[in-house]
Amino acid sequence: MNDTLKYAYYPGCSLHASAGEYDLSTRELFSALGISLTEVPDWFCCGATPAHNVDELLSLSLCAKNLELAEQVEGDLAVACASCFSRLKFTQHTLEENATKRKQVEKAIDAPVKLDGKVKHLLEILAKDLGLERLAASVSKPLAGLKVACYYGCLLTRPTDVPNLDCPEAPTIMERVVEASGAETVAWTHRLECCGANFTLSRPGVVLQLTNAILDSAKAAGADCIMVGCPLCHGNLDIRQKEIENVYSAEYNLPVFYLTQLVGLSVGLAPDQLGLNAMIVNPTPLLKEKGLL
Amino acid sequence: MKKKKMLLSQETMDTGFIRKVETLSDTSVRSCFQCGKCSAGCPMATFMEHPPNRVMRLLQLGQWQRVLAGRSIWYCASCETCSTRCPNKVHLASIMDALRKLSWDAEGPSKESYVQLANKLFLQNISSYGRQYEMRLAAVFNVKSGQFLKDMMLGPKLFAKGKLKMFQRKNKNLTEIQKIFSRIEEMRKKGEAL
Amino acid sequence: MSRIGVFICHCGENISRTVDVERVARDVGRLPGVAFSTDYKYMCSDPGQTLLKKTIQEQKLSHVVVAACSPRMHEKTFRKAVEAAGLNPFLCEMANIREHCSWVHENIEEATIKATEIVGMMVERVKKNRVLPTITVPVTKRSLVIGGGIAGIQAALDIADAGHEVVLVEREPSIGGHMAQLSETFPTLDCSQCIMTPKMVDVANHPKIKLYTYSEIELVEGYIGNFQVTIKKKARSVNEDTCTGCGVCMTKCPQKKIPNKFDQNIGMRTAIYIPFPQAVPNTPVIDRENCTKFKTGKCGVCQKVCGPGAVDFEQEDSLIVEPVGAIVVATGFDLYTIDEKPKGSPIKGYGEFGHGKIADVIDGMTFERLASASGPTGGKILRPSDGKEPKQIVFIQCIGSRAREKGISYCSKVCCMYTAKHTMLYHHKVHGGQAYVFFMDARTPGKSYDEFWRRAIEEEDAVYIRGMVSRLYQKGDKIVVMGSDIAVGVQVEIEADMVVLATAIQPQKGADLLAQKLGISYDKYNFYSEAHAKLRPVECATAGIYLAGACQGPKDIPETVSQASAAAAKVMTLFSKDQLEREPIVARVREAGCVGCFACKKVCAYGAVEEKEIRDRQGNLIKVVAYVNPGVCAGCGTCQATCPSKCVELDGYTDEQVIAMIEAL
Repeated sequence: MNDTLKYAYYPGCSLHASAGEYDLSTRELFSALGISLTEVPDWFCCGATPAHNVDELLSLSLCAKNLELAEQVEGDLAVACASCFSRLKFTQHTLEENATKRKQVEKAIDAPVKLDGKVKHLLEILAKDLGLERLAASVSKPLAGLKVACYYGCLLTRPTDVPNLDCPEAPTIMERVVEASGAETVAWTHRLECCGANFTLSRPGVVLQLTNAILDSAKAAGADCIMVGCPLCHGNLDIRQKEIENVYSAEYNLPVFYLTQLVGLSVGLAPDQLGLNAMIVNPTPLLKEKGLL
Repeated sequence: MKKKKMLLSQETMDTGFIRKVETLSDTSVRSCFQCGKCSAGCPMATFMEHPPNRVMRLLQLGQWQRVLAGRSIWYCASCETCSTRCPNKVHLASIMDALRKLSWDAEGPSKESYVQLANKLFLQNISSYGRQYEMRLAAVFNVKSGQFLKDMMLGPKLFAKGKLKMFQRKNKNLTEIQKIFSRIEEMRKKGEAL
Repeated sequence: MSRIGVFICHCGENISRTVDVERVARDVGRLPGVAFSTDYKYMCSDPGQTLLKKTIQEQKLSHVVVAACSPRMHEKTFRKAVEAAGLNPFLCEMANIREHCSWVHENIEEATIKATEIVGMMVERVKKNRVLPTITVPVTKRSLVIGGGIAGIQAALDIADAGHEVVLVEREPSIGGHMAQLSETFPTLDCSQCIMTPKMVDVANHPKIKLYTYSEIELVEGYIGNFQVTIKKKARSVNEDTCTGCGVCMTKCPQKKIPNKFDQNIGMRTAIYIPFPQAVPNTPVIDRENCTKFKTGKCGVCQKVCGPGAVDFEQEDSLIVEPVGAIVVATGFDLYTIDEKPKGSPIKGYGEFGHGKIADVIDGMTFERLASASGPTGGKILRPSDGKEPKQIVFIQCIGSRAREKGISYCSKVCCMYTAKHTMLYHHKVHGGQAYVFFMDARTPGKSYDEFWRRAIEEEDAVYIRGMVSRLYQKGDKIVVMGSDIAVGVQVEIEADMVVLATAIQPQKGADLLAQKLGISYDKYNFYSEAHAKLRPVECATAGIYLAGACQGPKDIPETVSQASAAAAKVMTLFSKDQLEREPIVARVREAGCVGCFACKKVCAYGAVEEKEIRDRQGNLIKVVAYVNPGVCAGCGTCQATCPSKCVELDGYTDEQVIAMIEAL
């Protein structure tokens, strides 16, 4: 068996902007683990929520186009952003099931639709392709004593039969990955609740209310920090955390890590390789306290 | 509109509209038996004037004007909780997509303008740049919605953290994406797609 | 030369509207062999049948063709009439010119031509019909009843009271089934045990009932009137004849912490045990998986303390063969559970309710045990987690039921009523407590049922909320219930101390395997199928096997008892004759041509093909050929189609008859 895992990499728009640290830590972690990532050349936006919200055909076409572009690069398609992951999987699922929509999309992209390529979220690559045992074997600085609240949000697991990443109601894949890195995980009630997602732009009040409940639940469960696999969740939990504390007179001070940042720490990557300084809620005091810095 | 009596007849129950929704969403509107589980788990239900099950009920009765006039469909976060837990495999999140699309086709009868504006700007960015330009999206949204000071405090912090990019390069292959937009428009004109 | 009579029916206007019946009668009258033809408004009516009988005698007819509706409708009617006129009934055939012609065509000219052709085919066919003698088989007037719940008990008692022997087989150590687990019963709130245990004792004392508990059906052979049933009696490790039921063994057994299935695993029992104090028989059984003696070889306390020396560690499973003439299947139900199901299972669990891992989320049957005076809490409603009395209790209906997504589309029928009952029991037992019910529809058709449900709301303070629950989660020692009230149109959140789920009714585990042993059909959920949904609701399509209770579909107690008595009545009808008559449409093997390949035996779904030795006068074996047992053969014709040497003929459907029909076209 060829030991090198090779993937085409679809970072998505956020990772080239507000979630730069997710992109950075992904590249650094994968290179440290000996996994090769080659960015899909000239990829487009997947359309995210706004496209499928008002124009499903456009959403499917954008994703189908990206799947076509990804064919140029060897390997399954690795996706970091939960929203891009969800849209690409939805597209594969829909076009597989619905011949009419498939024909329309083929006309829109002026090319045959290819659905045999596998789309994988980073979690899947770490937990299944690399495997938890090999991941654990790469850990040089176990995250001992760090209590992590794994936050799935909506799009990694829902709906049933589409992303097929894990059970939509009782997933464990994030916990398994971060536990392999030596961290502890907490059982909490809001790990699958919605953060309000892209209402952060149009109706931020909604986001504050929903995200407050999530932070409150993680704090109540005794978590030190939150781990996410989605830039939008990250934005709402991290960037808006101070504002939420002000509005709801609460004190959370919960650093919000991308999964690649925490796993990256455990394999011995330095803070600047993981973009820890880009986090709004400063993780340094916590990591120092736990002896991880 | 909300309180007006529903006069039901074959003329007032728009089955053509139901069929359009079913084609777009690939899910059966009749399958819903009004158990309310969607509304029970919807994170956005408290913000909606019609909770999700009632949107379904109005749709079953072909009362699309009542549905589209409200804000409910624009407050759906596409979190897929309803679709995941529906006992009858009604894909309500997809039905919401279909309703929003048809609302746009009907030229936005809803009063909810902010969400619609954000969606419009998002799609415009894709056709002009190929990728999302977050900084521009936020700035133009604030200008167009007249909330110049919204999230003002966040700006400098995000900028300092490298989270706001001032410039966005256009995709080299941008014309390809623009062709997708125009081909879809063409198909719709010819009636080949909804 | 045959003298065939053809009778064309108008079926009111059903046929004559599109078929010119007079012309058909005229045209077929000219066919060779037809001695007489006529048409009549209603052939099946009394005057129609009289016309048929009179003509047979007057015209000295040899064969009859009735051109009318489907033979499924009236073949029996006309063959009976023909028999009354002195002809063999199998010399009468029906030509279907209604379903196959008048109902499906509009053009009169074309329909008339087609009708004439259909009748012509049957005229040619009937010429080849042979006189078939009625087959009779003897009846063993003993019945097997499988399952010792209320359905099996009722059926067994009815049959036994009619004077016939009954063999009652129960898988568990005691009879009683689920009804013995219930606290009170709707709609009268009488104690389940009080009405159930006398019946259980009647079974034990009935001279005509032979009871096998802790036993299973191993093999079923034979056919209606003549079944041979092999029963596996599992080793009880206690001799039933010598045990006095004193119970000393159970008090002394050191293994006391084994979850008792009868108490839904919330109560504990010993390794040598009876499932509940009123068990029948009152003979303990050793649970070998949990017994120290069987696990380590040490202990044996029960044997030492047993006065009559009934404990027998060496006892082995035994096989017993019982001949019976009829079988009543009454295997009952099992409850759906919300836990995670294996991958690929058509049934799914409720991850949104924690997959059964929240201790104080229980099912309805567990609530019954909590509420039962003989239950593990002595009838007090206490939480399994910490034994506290729940001050806020939430009931959720339709869990698993009516949930296509979870793999079950049907309504379980009893949950609306038992949930209403549960709220009342709770109200009576927990003072100052509050019960809430989340429901979609209240289904309460039944005598005094709706009144009972309304009483729960109007007099017993239950708060009913129309709407389902999206999610349950533990928060501290409370369970957060996220629901909605669709009448108000708002979300509802309740912090409950305990949640009771009205879980779906499913067939017993292994119901499909038993069905395969019995050769009866079952639906996709493994509920057993009745022969006809409306007109033969207690019979299986397989002759001699009858259904009672929830093994056929969800049922409450009154319905189950009714069906059990109905099944018993069917058994008694069967037993009312010494010989069984059956239609002689069976396969026959032409032994001269048979090469003994037994392809027919392999394809026979009814096990009707046997091996028969052909010997010469000196007794030397010449060859082994196939033999079709006419008592078992269902006349399906599969063997006829399979036989490579064309040596099997199905009486009434011979190749000769079918070829004659084709040639007539």
